Amino acid sequence: MRLSILGAGPGGYVAAIKAAQLGAQITVVEGSEVGGTCLNWGCIPTKALVASAEIISRTRKLEDYGIELKGEIVPNFSKIIARKNKIVNTQIKGIRNLFKGWGITLKEGRGLLTSPQEIMITLRDGSKEKNAADKIIIATGSRPLQIPELPFDGNRILSSDDALMLKEIPKSLLIVGAGVIGCEFACIFRALGSEVTIVEMLPRAVATEDFEISELLERELKKKKIKLLTNIKAEKVDLKDDGVHIFLADSKEIVAEKVIVSVGRLFNSDGIGIEEVGIQKGVRGEIAVNDKMETNIPGIYAVGDVIGGLMLAHVASTEGIAAVKNVMGGDERIDYTSVPSAIFTSPEIASVGLREHQASEKGIKVRTGHLEFRALAKAHTIGEIEGLIKIVADEQSDKILGVHIIGPHASDLIHEAALAVRKGLKTKDIAETIHAHPTLSEVLMEAAADVHNEAIHVPKR
Amino acid sequence: MNPDDLKYHKEHTWVKASGRKATIGITDYAQDALGDIVYIDLPEVDTDVEANSEIGEIESTKATSSIISPVNGRVIEVNEDLSESPEIINEDPYSKGWIAIIELDDASEPDDLMDSSEYLKYVEEEAK
Repeated sequence: MRLSILGAGPGGYVAAIKAAQLGAQITVVEGSEVGGTCLNWGCIPTKALVASAEIISRTRKLEDYGIELKGEIVPNFSKIIARKNKIVNTQIKGIRNLFKGWGITLKEGRGLLTSPQEIMITLRDGSKEKNAADKIIIATGSRPLQIPELPFDGNRILSSDDALMLKEIPKSLLIVGAGVIGCEFACIFRALGSEVTIVEMLPRAVATEDFEISELLERELKKKKIKLLTNIKAEKVDLKDDGVHIFLADSKEIVAEKVIVSVGRLFNSDGIGIEEVGIQKGVRGEIAVNDKMETNIPGIYAVGDVIGGLMLAHVASTEGIAAVKNVMGGDERIDYTSVPSAIFTSPEIASVGLREHQASEKGIKVRTGHLEFRALAKAHTIGEIEGLIKIVADEQSDKILGVHIIGPHASDLIHEAALAVRKGLKTKDIAETIHAHPTLSEVLMEAAADVHNEAIHVPKR
Repeated sequence: MNPDDLKYHKEHTWVKASGRKATIGITDYAQDALGDIVYIDLPEVDTDVEANSEIGEIESTKATSSIISPVNGRVIEVNEDLSESPEIINEDPYSKGWIAIIELDDASEPDDLMDSSEYLKYVEEEAK
């Protein structure tokens, strides 16, 4: 089996290694750098910055922990960026070494489908070569969406990619879009000292989360003095010497040194020969696939951001593995009902399964359980009491349908919940599982008990 | 210990009216029940508020609670000192710990609220 993969992001590179493990002969074509958006422009570099930002925030609270600081804490942005680059490069080398170890051929250049069995590769040096394949997986990902009102200029109006190449911490920063990316950048740059304003068209921040999660995040943003304007559109921009002037729909004007536009992502489904080969696209420009990751053209599969589902690295990897198993003759389908997601704001957000409003839209009657992190002794010992967990359970069966967490280590706490949703566990399964004390994991046990008003650390109602 | 010149709402807020201006805050009972207050989400100046509805939130080390307006009106001033030092509410709930000044829709509205002895009785009942 000769398998060719377009794109070496978390969809493509994981698919390549899995296919090699299963004995296929692999060629991967990558136009940028292995690791894709996740490793180069997304998850990993931002989390490196989050770590630096967290250290700064924590140092500002040293006195709360009984520690005196003699001197000053000063973020050195070029060193913070250098640290980020080092982490990214280590991971890049890691993937390249895995490829070498499995005998995967990496072609650095752009691939164009010329038939269902052939890719024309334009290598970095401009030379072209043909690559023949029995089957092909498209994993070309996505890129920041540009809106005509606010075109990226790479200098003052920035995409999320550009924001990672800033040389200095901006004194003032306007972020357009209070989604995952916008809110993460807001927390990072606020901690580093920028004055931050976020403008959002929708009524709330992180609008895909449960309402109560958005509400709590909005309060935490306010505490950090991050200004959030919702229900309003940025309509016009004027680049002046004193800064970028952004005009809002209510004709209010905001001036900032830099602007980050994070309003969504665009599918990389253009310029790769999709139309030429006759692969169907969906209405948003995504590549249409069935639940086996197959496009309408036999032998061509697509995975990850470019298919327009949940645009998450771990989903792309899961889809990549499923596609490979199907390439090799399997019958693999993915269950998307228990995909965890994490947002690295401060505090972190993580969720899995149905939001309460989604459950009611589906006509499911639910019971909910809550617990504030401040009810736990462990939260007090680490000095991070802000946060909330909410469990959404089916009223009739008691099965856990969704779990939503905002609070310290939310991204690590969500997986017990993901397992519960995936396996259809009931709230009592979690409530009756002994959780070690003192740990943050106790939030799950207590919130599960709270679904039936049986939590210990919730005041009598 | 609840001052006699104030009026009290069942959601444990107090009102001190002077003409159409009413200063509001939370009661000593409320601050004691909440414990150490670590953050207050103050209402915004110029917003209209309705009696019995939430106008802000208070976070203590134990819980997060709504601040319920005792009156109808418009916020004309908030106690900005509380943003930096919310613990003032614990220390002095009836004076330095005031939360907002509200311009009343109806100057006689506070008359309908509980007086200090009624509130004391109410709190004792609630504690049972």
